[in-house]
Amino acid sequence: MSLRGLSPRFWVAAALVAFVILVGLVGPLIVSTSPDATVGGLYEEPQCCGALILGADNEGQSVIANLVYGTRTSLIVGLIAGLIGTAIGLVVGLVAGYRGGWVDDVLSAIVNVGLAIPVIVVVILVSVSLPQRNLYTLALVIGFTGWFWVARAVRAQSSSIRTREHIDVAKLSGAGFWSILSRDVLPYLLSYVVMACILQISGAILFESTLSMLGLGASNTTSLGTMLYWAIQWGSVRTGAWWAFIPPTLMLTLIVFSLLLLQSSLNEVFNPRLRRGRAARKRAKEAGEELEEVPVEGADAGPVGATGVLETPISAGRGEAR
Amino acid sequence: MGTLVNAENIRGVYYTGAKDVVAVNDVSIKIEEGEVLGLAGESGSGKTTLGSIISLIARPPLHVEHGTLEIDGQVQELGGHAKIPRTWRGAVVSMLPQGAMNSVSPTKRIRHLVYDVMRSHDGKISKEEALDRARDRLTTLGLPARVLDAYPHQLSGGMKQRTVTIISTLLDPRLLVADEPTSALDVTSQKILIEMLLEMLKERIMSGVIFVTHDLPVLRTAANRIAVMYQGKIVELGPTEIVVERPEHPYTQALMSSVLAPEPAYANTRIEGMSSFDRSLFDAPAVIHP
Amino acid sequence: MALAKYLGRKVAWTLVVFFVALLLNFLLPRLIPGNPVDAIVGAMARGGGVGGEQLEQVHQHYMAEFGLDKPLWQQFFVYVGNIFQGDLGTSFANYPASVGSLISQALPWSIAIQLPAIIVGWIVGNLLGALAAFKGGWLDRGAFIGSLFLSSVPPFALAIILLFVVGAQLGILPIGGAYSFGLTPEFSLAFFGDAITYFWLPFWSLVLVFIGGQAVGMRSMAIYELGSDYVNYNRGLGVKEGHTVRYIFRNAMLPQFTGLALSIAAIITGGLIVELVFSYPGLGTLLFNAIGTNDYPLISAICLLITIAVLVANLAADILTGFIDPRIRAVQSGER
Repeated sequence: MSLRGLSPRFWVAAALVAFVILVGLVGPLIVSTSPDATVGGLYEEPQCCGALILGADNEGQSVIANLVYGTRTSLIVGLIAGLIGTAIGLVVGLVAGYRGGWVDDVLSAIVNVGLAIPVIVVVILVSVSLPQRNLYTLALVIGFTGWFWVARAVRAQSSSIRTREHIDVAKLSGAGFWSILSRDVLPYLLSYVVMACILQISGAILFESTLSMLGLGASNTTSLGTMLYWAIQWGSVRTGAWWAFIPPTLMLTLIVFSLLLLQSSLNEVFNPRLRRGRAARKRAKEAGEELEEVPVEGADAGPVGATGVLETPISAGRGEAR
Repeated sequence: MGTLVNAENIRGVYYTGAKDVVAVNDVSIKIEEGEVLGLAGESGSGKTTLGSIISLIARPPLHVEHGTLEIDGQVQELGGHAKIPRTWRGAVVSMLPQGAMNSVSPTKRIRHLVYDVMRSHDGKISKEEALDRARDRLTTLGLPARVLDAYPHQLSGGMKQRTVTIISTLLDPRLLVADEPTSALDVTSQKILIEMLLEMLKERIMSGVIFVTHDLPVLRTAANRIAVMYQGKIVELGPTEIVVERPEHPYTQALMSSVLAPEPAYANTRIEGMSSFDRSLFDAPAVIHP
Repeated sequence: MALAKYLGRKVAWTLVVFFVALLLNFLLPRLIPGNPVDAIVGAMARGGGVGGEQLEQVHQHYMAEFGLDKPLWQQFFVYVGNIFQGDLGTSFANYPASVGSLISQALPWSIAIQLPAIIVGWIVGNLLGALAAFKGGWLDRGAFIGSLFLSSVPPFALAIILLFVVGAQLGILPIGGAYSFGLTPEFSLAFFGDAITYFWLPFWSLVLVFIGGQAVGMRSMAIYELGSDYVNYNRGLGVKEGHTVRYIFRNAMLPQFTGLALSIAAIITGGLIVELVFSYPGLGTLLFNAIGTNDYPLISAICLLITIAVLVANLAADILTGFIDPRIRAVQSGER
């Protein structure tokens, strides 16, 4: 896949994502104020330059400091939870699809139950029961409850790959179960896994902010969600203290939007039929010959965006119920 | 028997952004009334492209740079930005696509497609009339009428292919362009389909068939004349016996000799693959048999 | 017949999942180390205002209700038994108010926003997506980017922005609650007229995001279908475009139904937060307060309610798909 094949949309998305990561990584280094330090009065207005550039929040703490540290927290939680979720879903899906038989039946039953029960419910119940909440336990909980849809889609693909000839060749040459999975099956799924991972991460970030807004967030660190939690608790919207809630809102939206944009532009690269236009169709023709099109169960169908990301972003296949 | 269709100077090019691929290179061909003309060649020879141009369904990235089609005294311009009347498709020239399996929408019954095809050409026709005509056609050609009530996935491969063949000819087109109609079928189903096509020709349901395929043995039983295409041009054209048994163009010779024929006469012949031939020989001028 | 079998399987499955959900709902809160009742009563005692004798009563009440003196599996049966009698327990924080009564006050408000949002959003979103796919060109590009943006905005983010811009700064629509202070809810036109103004902002926050999501999905599906073999075949037979469009729509819609069911959970979740932003007295605010006061029965009951809503929605989508797509009924065991 050449760099030429990447549309302008991809580059815009990549730039936005890079910007966000930069804020989270480098921000705290640039903004020398600590997010917990009191720098001003209750909802003090923004003043140029320094810690109060975005004003102070309900505890007199610097908004800009909280913003960058909060971004970092949200990103970390999103990354950890996303990777965990993708990893679990990948392994379960691969084993279930490739092995078939009773292993598949058991795993699929688990996955289907997991898909049917709304994740938010489970996470709320677990979070409420935890004695203390920090961002790592949060990430773990989100990751361990969000992998079901990945498993489902990966299973469908790996079970179709199982019937291909190169797998027989690998088996005949004595390759072991895990070796076949990692070297002969996985490469075909790579494009899907990348997209799934992006969706997992953005879903996890949204999830964390939802939990934080409900009051179930990490108790010792700031995240973008907890900033909003406090903003609502202290009625900053009513009093017009826009600096308390607009920055975290914008930042969250930016993160989710850029990740979803990235995913959709990658989707067009991997799924040539979605492209439009003359030059695009040319790329599609070429790609159609090169790419081994693994029949993805409706990878481009289903709920998209923030509404869908929380549960199963990539839905069941065309013409097939769950 | 006169000339049914006269296709002249057809040039079809794929605009692919980077490089333009000439798929059909100034081809002219006549189809006679009542005949099956086989269009043979390897993948990439341009036979499918030519078929799609003649059946009036060419569209970007395939551009017809120039060409004309003459049927029943009417001349239709194919090149440039020519407007092809929608009603010609299906009623004058019709297509039988590759892979009938996917050519019918999976969520509608066959009778819906039948009704839509008929009323797109005759706005006043009633559903009953349309289905009656279809039923007549089905029974004439030996298919059960209940096919109409079925969904595509409920029919077997051979059944589907024959059903689609009937749908393609519901409007009694003058010419039917069949693209690899037998490729996805088992041998028995192939035989049945070919017999059905010949029967339809006899009944004058259509007056001519272009049979596009890479499967040479099939053409021996199905076609009256064979046109062999190579790299966008017709290199040999003539009656089936001659082209199959006494081909004169080097490419046709190479093609024929690479076919496995389980007949006694060939038991002692050596099969030479295409690669054992010198490809430069294939640029020899075309051979048209009278 | 195949349809009946298919529906039967789906209903049976839903019941199985419901049972698992009940189990989870029961088990998870009880994983807390220690006796929850002691913890609550202890908190109440520390908060003051509740005397010793009353505390004893509260303690006994909850012990009986939860049956904490009995073994775990018996507790489960007590729990399930109560549920099926409609008894969801007594609220910790609002003792002695029953959970059921609290929920039944909040529920209608939540439904009032979410149900229209889902219906309108789905219809408008799909139409927009299909239109963009067919027309192509500038409409397509604009609609796509716009929808993608809208769909990526978390509903609460949109809610906050709308609240700030339209509510606080421009003052056009009210910024909190469900009806004007001083009015009591009733089925009168006057009340309805007032409540509607409070309805708009939360409604739009949900609907716009949902439209965006549906439009993007439908557009992809329609584009995918436009390249299908049957579309080409129809064209080759001279079938009028209008007829073909109906085939395309039908096929493109299928995943949208499944997608709808799957996003119900997300919509409900989003709706809850939106309610928070607007202090709208629905389940969202109720849940928020319950979490704040560690009101386990209430939290548990709301979670159960959400689960039921999602399961019912999924079942409905399955039924619909079964009717529309004949291939579904034909598939035998497959996944399950």
